[in-house]
Amino acid sequence: MIDPRLDVIGKRLAAVDRIVAVSSAKGGVGKSVCAALLALVFGREGYRTGLLDLDFQGASAHLLLDVQLDFPEEEAGIRPLRAAGTVDFMSFAAFSREHAVPLRGSEVTQAMLELLAITIWNPLDFLLIDMPPGIGDEILDVLRYMHAPEFLVVTTPSRLVGHVVERLLVMLRELKVPVVGLVENMVRKDSRAAVLADRYSCPLLGSIPYEEDIDDILAEAAGGKPLPERISSVFRSIAARLAAGGQTELRRQSADSPPADVV
Amino acid sequence: MHEWALAEAVVSTVERLYTENGCKPVLAVNVLIGELQHVEMEVFSVGLENALKDRPFGPDVFHFEVEKASFRCNACGREWLMEQQQQIGEEEQEAIHFLPEAAHVYMRCPSCGSPDFVLDRGRGVSIKSVELQDSARGSE
Repeated sequence: MIDPRLDVIGKRLAAVDRIVAVSSAKGGVGKSVCAALLALVFGREGYRTGLLDLDFQGASAHLLLDVQLDFPEEEAGIRPLRAAGTVDFMSFAAFSREHAVPLRGSEVTQAMLELLAITIWNPLDFLLIDMPPGIGDEILDVLRYMHAPEFLVVTTPSRLVGHVVERLLVMLRELKVPVVGLVENMVRKDSRAAVLADRYSCPLLGSIPYEEDIDDILAEAAGGKPLPERISSVFRSIAARLAAGGQTELRRQSADSPPADVV
Repeated sequence: MHEWALAEAVVSTVERLYTENGCKPVLAVNVLIGELQHVEMEVFSVGLENALKDRPFGPDVFHFEVEKASFRCNACGREWLMEQQQQIGEEEQEAIHFLPEAAHVYMRCPSCGSPDFVLDRGRGVSIKSVELQDSARGSE
């Protein structure tokens, strides 16, 4: 049996300049918040921005950006929804709404392939991916099926989180996957991510102060309210450094590699 | 109309195999259409014709077979077919039409009510085989 979807995914993403998977090996570190805030800031800075929520079982980016979950419009495929006025958006939640999504690994892969095969993205400077926690099917599938993804790794000052995140960095290094940078979230006192950044030779793009009501602030910002300067300045800086730090050479090498034989 | 995206994928695969195999004439493409996804064949056929513009093979080589959907419960072992599935609403069917894995959101085992079931066959669009002159790709 041949899966025809694999032959069209590259075409669907051909007009996407950079794919950035916002990841962490640990849950609860604020991946979705970072991905959503970055998408919002990139959009406001004038970058053509998309956000794909691949955390099927814990989809929350639509809540953070207050996205109306209608079925996508169809036009030779499905068109992304719109988030915060400027961001193209796609999520399993467009189909599951607020229901639980009990999927096993192979079903996660199937759902991801389907979304990648039928979503007609507009030309984008950045497609940010809100990844689920851990080093599981989604990360392996992003590496397998998407062209030249870069990883933005989210950590916190927690020693425990640092240990678990380090495992992801080790794996990404082993796989020679470009890590465009680290972001440290929920900083209350001391930052600890600089050590990790040094050890793995990847830039620490920013340290984000702990914000009690960050999800409310984000939803209000998605509705048009300006972000508080203390948050806005950090994310504008992260976005600028991310935009300047593309892994051009690695991407070019990867673009030349032959597609997998799916027969 | 997202059937067009799936039709385009089928044509892309056949074109790749055609090219990889020395541009031998395509004799037949056998496509399985899974019952679960409720693909609208009329829409799919129009999408196929659109995707076939300027291709070295036409719509006449494509043959379609609807594959019945069958499910197996991981919790109690019950096996069932689509027609034995409890009726679900139009919105839920539409969600499954877009994304067949939404079945795990809206369908349950008819015996024990578990969402932990496997779709054994009949999911969506796949290619059973592509027959080129002097060779064949794919498998039963």
